[in-house]
Formats: sequence, C-alpha cells, structure tokens
Amino acid sequence: MKPRFVETFVPPAATFLLTTAAAEFGIRAAGVSPLLLPTPSAVARAALQHAPTLLPALAMTAQAVAIGLALSIALGLLVAIALSTSRWVERAFYPYAIFFQIVPIVAIAPLLVIWFGYGMRAVVAAAFIVSVFPVIANSLAGLLSVDPALRDLFRLYGASGFARLWKLSLPWALPNVLTGLRIAAGLAVIGAIVGEFVGGGGLGVVVLEAMRQQRTDLVFAAVLHAAALGLALFAAVNATSHFALRRWHTQETEP
Amino acid sequence: MSRRAASKRAVAIGMAALLAIPACGGEDAATRATAGKVALALNWKPEPEFGGLYEAQRMDAFAKRGITLELTGGPGAPVVQMVEAGKVEFGIAAADEVVLARDRGADIVAVFATYQTNPQGIMVHAARGLHSLADVFAAGGTLAVEPGVAYTKFFEKHYDLTKMKIVPYGYSIAPFLGDPTLAQQVFVTAEPIAARRQGADPQVFLIAESGFNPYAAVVITTGARARAETKRLADFVAALREGWRGYLDDPTLANALMGQLNKEMDADTFRLGAAAQQPLIEDAFAKQSGVGAMSLERWATLGRQLQELGLIGAAPAPRDCFVQVETLQSPPEPLR
Repeated sequence: MKPRFVETFVPPAATFLLTTAAAEFGIRAAGVSPLLLPTPSAVARAALQHAPTLLPALAMTAQAVAIGLALSIALGLLVAIALSTSRWVERAFYPYAIFFQIVPIVAIAPLLVIWFGYGMRAVVAAAFIVSVFPVIANSLAGLLSVDPALRDLFRLYGASGFARLWKLSLPWALPNVLTGLRIAAGLAVIGAIVGEFVGGGGLGVVVLEAMRQQRTDLVFAAVLHAAALGLALFAAVNATSHFALRRWHTQETEP
Repeated sequence: MSRRAASKRAVAIGMAALLAIPACGGEDAATRATAGKVALALNWKPEPEFGGLYEAQRMDAFAKRGITLELTGGPGAPVVQMVEAGKVEFGIAAADEVVLARDRGADIVAVFATYQTNPQGIMVHAARGLHSLADVFAAGGTLAVEPGVAYTKFFEKHYDLTKMKIVPYGYSIAPFLGDPTLAQQVFVTAEPIAARRQGADPQVFLIAESGFNPYAAVVITTGARARAETKRLADFVAALREGWRGYLDDPTLANALMGQLNKEMDADTFRLGAAAQQPLIEDAFAKQSGVGAMSLERWATLGRQLQELGLIGAAPAPRDCFVQVETLQSPPEPLR
C-alpha cells in the first residue's frame, strides 16, 4: 500500500509544487502587473477571501453539472443501444450525432435562454448538449465491437434479445462507456460554465463579475474551482470504473 | 537598460502579444512609435459612440498633426490590460474601469470623456406605464444586466431589488422582445432603436438618474505615457476633439464610414443613435469647457461611490485619475 501511495501521489505533487513555485517567483521577478497575471499566492488569497461567494457558486454549478451529466448518461446510453440494434438505424442517425457534437456550444448558448428561460434549466441544457455525444459515440463503438464468436454463442443457446443486451453487449461495452463518461465529465463542466454565462448563476457568473471588476486573481480562483469540479467527476468515474471492472477487464486488473 | 529591466520588458511584451492575439496583428508598440503611429483599442464595434474617432480619421485630423492612428480591439477586447501592457497606446473604457484599474495597481488615466452623461440605461416596455428607475424595481420582473457592472451594485444599495430576478445580459434584445416584464441594460444609441424597429415600444431610464453617473467612452492611456509625451498627447486630444466637433455638427459621412465596417447596424440606426447621444455628449459643461473635458468633482464622486460599494479599497486621489490635456496649465473650475 505504502509504495503504491508514494508512486501515485508524489510525482504529481512534485510537479504542482515546482510549477507553482516557478510561477510565483517568475511573475514576481518579472514585475508583471496583477491585472495581467496574478501570482499563485494572490490567487490563493482571493480564493480564501471570496470563499463565501465561491463555495455556494461551486455547489450551484456542481448541481447543474450533475443533472446534465446524469441526463447524458441515461439518454446517451439509450440512444447508443437504439443505434446498435441495426446497421440501418445506425447509418441513418449516427452522422447526425456526430454533426451535433460539432455544434459549438458557445454559439448556441444565447438561444438556450430563449428556449429554456434564464436559470438552472438553460445551464443543465448546456451541460447536457456538450456531454451527451461522447457518451453516445463511445458506447456505440463498444456495443458494436462485441466479439462475433460470443454473439454466435448467445444465438446458439437461443438467448433472448434482452439477455444478449444485458449479459453480453452492455458488459462488453462497459470500458468504452466509461471512457465516454470520462470525456463527458470534463465537457459537462465546460458546458455548465458556458450555460451560466448566458443563463446566470454559479461559477460562470463569478468569472464574469470578477472580469468586469478587474479581479484577475478571483477569475483564476473561480476557474480553479471549476477545474477541481471536473477533476472530482473524473475521479468519480475512475472509481466507478475500478469497482465495476476490476473482476474481469484486464485494463483494470493490471497494475 | 539593465538586465532586469530588459527581462521585465520581454515579459511585458510577451504578455502583450498574448493579450493582443484576438485584437490586432503584427506591429508592437516600439515599431509603431518610430513610425509616428499610435493604436487605440475600442471596446465595441464601430457605432455612434465612436463617431468622433472615425470623423477625425476621415477628416485627417490626426494625420495633419503627424499622428497615424490605428483603431483595433472590439467587443470583449481586454482594453485596460492591453493599454497597461503597452500593446496599444490608447483604449476606450468607462470611468469606473479607470478607478478599478488604479485600485488594482495599474497606472491608467483618462484623457478624454466622450459622454458627460452616461449613455447606459434600463429599457422597459412603455406599456407598463413606469415613470422612474424606482418604479421599474418596485414593479418586479426580470432584469438583464452584465454581471458585475458597478451600477447594479449601486442599484442594490440604493433601491429595493428583492422583487427583481437578475440575469446576465447576452447582448441580444430577443428576450426583451419576447417578455413584457423584462427590463434590460442598454446603450441609448443602440438597443432601444433596434427594439423599436422590431415593433416594440421601449422606454429608457438612464442609470444617471440614480445618481451614479461615471463618464463613458473614456479614452485612456497610462499615466507614464501621459506624463512623458505631453505634446503628443495634447495633439492627440486636439485631433479627437476636432473629430467630435465635426461629428456633432454632421455625422453623415462618419456614419457611412462606420456603416461599412459594421454591417449589422443600418444607416437609419446610425442616424438615430447619433441624434440620441448628442445631449449626453455636449451638455452645458462640455459647451463651456470643451467636448471631452472632465471635472475633478465628478472623479471624486465616482471614487467615493465605488468605495462605498466595496468595489475598491480606498478611493484614489481624483487628480490621479485623469489628465486634462488642453488645460494642463490651469485645470477648469468644476461646473455644477
């Protein structure tokens, strides 16, 4: 346990300390204005000083991200399963799934307010729109890659469609689904922040306010909170992946 | 130049280059200076609020003083940062931004204030029969404003906003057109005219009505440049004033020029916008002291207000906030 811990945490911690220290001294030595680039210590001070603003904002963003991501997982999986049922269905709809994935969220964000009104619903919609397509694309790839020999085996034993899906395709696709989720988790945070720029609330509005008030240190502090949220979700997906797959997928059993 | 200063300069230029990527290409400040060029970063598209600048360009007011002016920037440009980093010599900002920048340690000064009365207002549907800002806030509904603007804080302190749902303004009047109880921030030269053309019946209450009235479309530069290049600055401001004089007298040609650069605004809107802003630019004070002139008292009031709102630590010395170029010898007596 102990060496594993050292192996896992020491290298990133060392990188963090070194880059932070380098940034701190570099910015101070060069005399860069705090308006252009704040020192890490100034950002930390802003984070502490504005914790009463940042933490409720973080909670609000986290809530929107959680709802958006949950919708993405549920609907994304359903769509992927539907698309995987037949080659024809897949060919008819998959290109459009890719097309919508390419739609820039920033460009359509103002419309979300007109469609869903100001507030949480527009923010959830933005988080959902950017995070659902990686779920669809990766799940579908997994569902379509089932070993043909196993598929034949299931057919030989006369397994029902549901049994094939539940006992073969979904378990087979699980690593791909989780890869989709890792991507979706980070994107959902970005989507929510963009949604908040137009719909209001959360860290998005804290960023806008801090920009407007020329508090560059607070902008960085808010951005770091958003990044931490993305990181926490990523870790949650990894933990799920570990518990779900450690018994059978080599990817998780190898050290 | 010492090693340390050289490295400072290298970093500053690097930062400036980074900041300027979306704004303008190529030339840095040093190259421009040798060629007698200066750059000014706008904070919005070419619209009547910049009419005097384009008129000055058109009538060669800068050129005949040996200045080649390049207009850069646009919506979302980090103007204060670009000026501070020396990427551009001048920029357009609001007076409250000048005070905030000084509080954050940046040596930014105002040299010309286009609007004596702030042209921003709150637009509502006239059918609601409201008569003042106080009425607007008492009536409730949605208020769309840019998050973090100082006047919202001022409103929160001086009015009861608990009935209002405050949402971000997304630079589109579509939500206003669709919601009879929505109130939104506007520039009197733009959104109300657009809303009327779309069939709405808008009514605007200027934010200045609340007692919060920072100069707007202020031309800024760094204090160091203002002190070091007095003559060039005086020439620059004289050219700018000449341009504004020309635009106030007849905006037609400059409007046509801006219309070519900003195709989203049609000729009619330019004409109406120019007419709407006239009294805000040339009031009694500007008639006496000249277009763009500023008073010590107004800067003192603004500093005090921003401090009361908790947006700055200590109010800056009002004298540090601006340079009255044309009367460097004797600052004008504040009117009002």
